[in-house]
Amino acid sequence: MLCKLAWGNVRRAGRDYLVYLLTLTLGVTVFYAFNTVSMQVDIAGIDEEGLAQVMGSMLGDLTYFLAGVMAFLMVYANNFIMKRRKKEFGLYQVLGMGRGRVATIMALETVIVSVVAFVAGIVLGVGLSQLMTFFTASLFKTQIANFHFFFSVHAFNLTLACMLVMFVLTLLLNLRAVRRTKLIELMGAERRNESIKTRNPWIAIAIFAVGVVLVGVAYYRLLRDGFPLTATDSKLQEAMNQFGITTAMVTVGTFALFWGLSGMLIKLLQSLRGVYWRGLNMFTVRQLAAKVNTVCFSMGVIAMLLFLAITSVTCGMSIANVMNENLERYNPVDVSQTYVYYTPDTLDYYKEYVNPSDEADRMVPADTTVDLYPAWHGRDSSADNNDETGKKVDIADVAGEHVQIDSYLSYPFGSSNPSVTPSEMCKIMGEKLPKAFGGSNADTMGLFVTPASQYNKLRQMMGEEPVHIGHDQYLLTCDMGGELVDLYTKYMAGGHALTLGGHTLKPATDKSDEDTAAIANSAMGSNPGTVVVADELLSQLNLQPYSSSLLVNYKQGMDTTEADESIKYTLLDDLLVDGKKPGSWGTFITRSEMYTQAAQMNGLISCLAIYIGFVLVVACAAILSIQQLSNVADGSRSYRVLAQIGCDDRQIRHSVMAQQAVFFLFPLAVGLAHSFLALKVIIELVSIFGNMSIGGTVGLTCAIFLAAYGGYFLVTYLMSAGMVQAAIATRYSE
Amino acid sequence: MQTTHMATPVLEVAHLEKVYGALGNVTRALNDVSFTVNRGEFVGIMGASGSGKSTLLNCVSTIDSATSGTIRINGQDVTRMKQAKLSQFRREELGFIFQDSNLLDTLTARENIALPLTIARVNSAEISTRVQDVAARLSISQVLDKYPYQMSGGQQQRVAAARALVTDPTMIMADEPTGALDSKSARLLLESLEALNRRLRATVLMVTHDSFAASYTSHVLFIRDGKIFTELRRGDTDRREFFDRIMEVVAMMGGEGSDAL
Repeated sequence: MLCKLAWGNVRRAGRDYLVYLLTLTLGVTVFYAFNTVSMQVDIAGIDEEGLAQVMGSMLGDLTYFLAGVMAFLMVYANNFIMKRRKKEFGLYQVLGMGRGRVATIMALETVIVSVVAFVAGIVLGVGLSQLMTFFTASLFKTQIANFHFFFSVHAFNLTLACMLVMFVLTLLLNLRAVRRTKLIELMGAERRNESIKTRNPWIAIAIFAVGVVLVGVAYYRLLRDGFPLTATDSKLQEAMNQFGITTAMVTVGTFALFWGLSGMLIKLLQSLRGVYWRGLNMFTVRQLAAKVNTVCFSMGVIAMLLFLAITSVTCGMSIANVMNENLERYNPVDVSQTYVYYTPDTLDYYKEYVNPSDEADRMVPADTTVDLYPAWHGRDSSADNNDETGKKVDIADVAGEHVQIDSYLSYPFGSSNPSVTPSEMCKIMGEKLPKAFGGSNADTMGLFVTPASQYNKLRQMMGEEPVHIGHDQYLLTCDMGGELVDLYTKYMAGGHALTLGGHTLKPATDKSDEDTAAIANSAMGSNPGTVVVADELLSQLNLQPYSSSLLVNYKQGMDTTEADESIKYTLLDDLLVDGKKPGSWGTFITRSEMYTQAAQMNGLISCLAIYIGFVLVVACAAILSIQQLSNVADGSRSYRVLAQIGCDDRQIRHSVMAQQAVFFLFPLAVGLAHSFLALKVIIELVSIFGNMSIGGTVGLTCAIFLAAYGGYFLVTYLMSAGMVQAAIATRYSE
Repeated sequence: MQTTHMATPVLEVAHLEKVYGALGNVTRALNDVSFTVNRGEFVGIMGASGSGKSTLLNCVSTIDSATSGTIRINGQDVTRMKQAKLSQFRREELGFIFQDSNLLDTLTARENIALPLTIARVNSAEISTRVQDVAARLSISQVLDKYPYQMSGGQQQRVAAARALVTDPTMIMADEPTGALDSKSARLLLESLEALNRRLRATVLMVTHDSFAASYTSHVLFIRDGKIFTELRRGDTDRREFFDRIMEVVAMMGGEGSDAL
């Protein structure tokens, strides 16, 4: 009997339950699909070991966050429905039904809706996850070789557990609502004139102004200070605190903005008498004001969530893009091997980390560079060769053209003050040091120095003309792009001199070629700044060696994959000079490895950014949608009155549209403004790695988000218009 | 009867029928109802619950559509009007007062009263003066800047009356305007309506089941089971005497008469 009643209720209250059902279904769908991403990665044929696990564990953490967002959404949707059903539950009690049974009916209703939503959600989720596989594959730039239908038990269990928790949560909330509410309130909920929480408009305006000021100051602080990432270690704590203050300011400011918004809007429009007293404007504004008062908090939350979504997506994808675009420049050769020298400053540091300690005795600071090509040999340590018997591998087996690039520090052996630093250069030009540099390695270590012959050899290998560098000339190179290159180019173009070991040098050209500036293969650039000088000069200067890199292209006609495989697992023999170790082997990087990694990184970042962003945007839109629909339902009496006093439907619909546009667009505008600023600062920061462009995929992704948001807006409006129409048409019964 | 012919009819209802429900389950709410209301009349429609009086008002006020028959207001047949035209018609010719005042919660009294004018795009200066005028007439000037929930029931009802009057409508429709009021507020509202009718010659059509409220009118139609049972004209008699005559009819209407009190 109770079951029947509950089922009937769900069917009858269909429209109200529809919103709840849709929200719940959407939640389940997204939740399930999101948790299958690691499985999708598998299916998409991204076979790199570990990636699926990395993905899985990252997503695992995000799942908690997602569950939080979904829980908020569902509790919200549930409150919406409870508000509508209060009177009915009151009626049951008036008719003599005990509270226990009313609670049972309600629980049954929740069960019915939850089960339906769960089943529908899982079905849609399974469908969505199949589709997403293709999307994921495209993000990782792979083809799906053998696509097959898949179902993730793990994701299913996770979703089920989550749903159960939420179900219990909403049930408890509802029971509490029934228990606590007085019968008279349940019954009379509709009839009475709603008391409007009016705020003194002047106070509201003051709060609004405070919000604007706070946000403005926070913007200013952010532009001035940037993100704390660039701060030096000593100042990091303080910078973090400052950044914390800025964050707090923008958060408080945003909420204040929405808190005072209604009062401000009313005062503003009332001052425009001709506008206020015209058509339904007055009604629209008042209606907004009444609601803005009660929903200012959620509008603030939505603005902040949208801000997060837009920023994370744009930022993540742009960084990934930059990395991808510059990959060719970062990896000029098939393979590179770096050797790092011990300097008097770093020797002790290295010594601490070697074991056994007699090894430390062999370590000496390097006073000259070594030839890496003859020293590059060792044993193959891949799985099928054990360490002892591994076959000998020599770089000569695969090497075709090759070059060694030596990087010296810009001070003589035994000294420790760099003579060429970006900040010094900025000072000479009378410019501000780009923010990205403050306290960075490039500044404390100073620029590297490299002989011209090596630089030109690399250029030749890459098919470029050599650059002539005279005895009294210098050339600045850098492969990181962005602000760094701009700085060096400007310095050379300005004809500024460099002083190196007492020699004053003039620029050899006015522009350096970024594309031949790498000193090793890398993911994000290897050369933050190098002074290329004539070989004879360099040998006179007696500079401190820092590192050498062997850049190798494979022999003509050699299969890259095979060559990679043959040297990839080499355990290099110690490089000894007169029985002493002047340094240690550093990174070994093949070009193809970098390309794969970049594609995966790109895929990973994009995937996360898009899914997080999408979930946030959809959650925001859903909350707004529920709010608006409940507003319209609450206001149906008002719309009927308007129709009765002769307001035509078109005007009423316009008013509804205007109200909803404000609710949807205002948080979006604030979120966009925040993002715009944050991105401006981020771009400035990231520009050390090259010019970050927001376009292409990012633009497309944002367009999809906006379409989703706009779609929600449109659906909400259409549903509202239908509700208003129904309210107007409701006959005045006797 | 002579006077009726000489005055201009504002409302002419002829052979009005309203049927609810489909075949086999038909409720005849109005059955061949005909009557005329002249300009400046204060007409009451009385009847028990379910007699069809509210249906009649809803049809006349164009909120509900009639099944058959004609309703002419100022010579225009409202049963044949298109939806868009109806909105305009309601806006320009009719004013409504309901049992629950139906004020908009989010608007102040001033804004509630101004609403029909802003919808009709009257300029703001004129809106201001007209709202002040009508508020003064209904003695609600002091509550103009309050919200409905800050006012008493009587004040709300008078604000609703002001909203109905502010457009100078051809006819004011009142549906149980005193239904939710205490006796003092009810008396105040009825006196205001009477004064409007006397001094400004406003035509008022009021549905009520309260004989006391009906005694303020000049002409009462009694409805029973969807038909006009009888009608009473006040003529020159005073309100007290008219009330007694109404009570007699109510008693005569029998069974349901008792709950018509």
